[in-house]
Amino acid sequence: MIWLELDIMRRAVLGCVLTGILTGLMGVFVVRMRISAIGYSMSHGAFAGAALGVATSMNPLVTAMLFASITAFLIGPIADKARLHADTVTSIIFPLNMALAFVFLTLTPEIGLTSQVASVLWGSIISMTNNDVVYMVTLCAATLVIIHFVWKELFAIMFNRKLAEADGINTRAFVYLVIFLSGVVITFSIKLVGGLLIYALLFNPASSTLQFLEDMRKVIVVSPLLGVGTNLSGLLVSLFLDLPVGSCIVLVSTLVFAVSVLVSPKRRRKIENERR
Amino acid sequence: MIKRINICFTSSGSTFNEASKVKDAVTAQESAIVRIEDVSTVYEGERRPAIRDVNLTIERNELVYVLGPNASGKTTLLETINGLLPAYRGRIFVFGLNVRNHGRRVRCEVGYVPQDFMVEPGEPYTAFDIVMMGRYGKIGVLQRPNEADHERAMEVMRLLEIEDLAPRPIGKLSGGQQQKVMIARALAKEPKLLLLDEPFSNLDPESREMVPRIINQLHEEKGMTTLIVTHDIHNMMKTCHRGVVFRDGRVVVDETPEKALHKLEVMR
Repeated sequence: MIWLELDIMRRAVLGCVLTGILTGLMGVFVVRMRISAIGYSMSHGAFAGAALGVATSMNPLVTAMLFASITAFLIGPIADKARLHADTVTSIIFPLNMALAFVFLTLTPEIGLTSQVASVLWGSIISMTNNDVVYMVTLCAATLVIIHFVWKELFAIMFNRKLAEADGINTRAFVYLVIFLSGVVITFSIKLVGGLLIYALLFNPASSTLQFLEDMRKVIVVSPLLGVGTNLSGLLVSLFLDLPVGSCIVLVSTLVFAVSVLVSPKRRRKIENERR
Repeated sequence: MIKRINICFTSSGSTFNEASKVKDAVTAQESAIVRIEDVSTVYEGERRPAIRDVNLTIERNELVYVLGPNASGKTTLLETINGLLPAYRGRIFVFGLNVRNHGRRVRCEVGYVPQDFMVEPGEPYTAFDIVMMGRYGKIGVLQRPNEADHERAMEVMRLLEIEDLAPRPIGKLSGGQQQKVMIARALAKEPKLLLLDEPFSNLDPESREMVPRIINQLHEEKGMTTLIVTHDIHNMMKTCHRGVVFRDGRVVVDETPEKALHKLEVMR
């Protein structure tokens, strides 16, 4: 554990823990509300924004958040106004953001694939500063407080949005709140795994947890813990094998998901029911 | 916005008295709980309205059943009344409030049981969670359910004889048990208006006797108003006040229950 004596590693471990909590938590809402497509569009929006920040020497965090938020809030209204399904709009915005990201990066050839650009693309735990950790602790606390206060509404919407609306809940406002919070979480987590892989962190822990548990209150606790576990495991794997941290985290997280699906009692029951 | 939140508070909220005064003032103005004026509803992407030029008034404490062939607009009618389908022409007033402007406020007081609502086996919710959700709109934003809310939810489950199912995952219950949970959810709200869409479809014969009996009992005790879409009206026949028959999205019969049923059979 000599690594932990290094400031960089301490920040990396903290980053893994905080990102695991945040993405594991928000992932449950994103998966259950079936807004995954918006989630990965936002993550690529954040990536495009961060690329713009790097290219224009602005704070990549600010531009990433701006792009993620714009993406999130464009999808719904565009779909409503153009009478298109949100999936259609997402499918258009997703490659658009990717194209913009690469345009921003190539517009400034002097930057090229510098470490700053690479950290936006693949993540760079080493570039995590004390300020980043402070931001993430604040974000984590704020997210937990917000969710505590609106848990009842989110709980009902995650079961069935139409029924929640029929009970007098303003479902649109709460779905937008989840989209906004996810956008912020994605933006702050980009340093860990990068813009291309971040959505795996959002979906894998939640989807894995949902394979086993039959109580949403347990899901909302276990998913962030699983997020922390896979992040720390990925970090260790990367240190032992000398591979990029972000990629290792995503590989571990995907492996956990694959095993969860294979041994999932819920899936087995579903198959048995279908056979009957 | 503040007004909208206040109206949803229950007895657990401090602003309940003020909110209920507003509600009572609104409802006291007219005896009609539902007033539908020339309403046509079109589904997104469709040209033909699912219901057309519907005019219907339902008085307080009335129990009205809606009949008609499949796809005649019965479900659309219920979802238009509680504002879940916003794309309609005409005007709908529930408790004297225009649904277009006060949909959410109205829905806090309307219990709704959708047709054939089945839950996936792995859903991470218990039966009690689902029943309790019926009260969420009334409890209001940022408020937590209190002891009285829990007690009310359990009371309704006891009434429907499903209190044993409370801790069980909803997805593991049979179709009939899930149906009862959905009815309990609607009743837990203590609704002024109850909209039921084929509520007996998955029930066993015993429950088909019991549920209408409970609805009738609540009608008498709580002064509820109910609109019920069903093919199985024989258990409700004695207590229903009116029968409305839909065909091709239009109201073609609005009569006493016996006459409405007779006319429907003639039409077939």
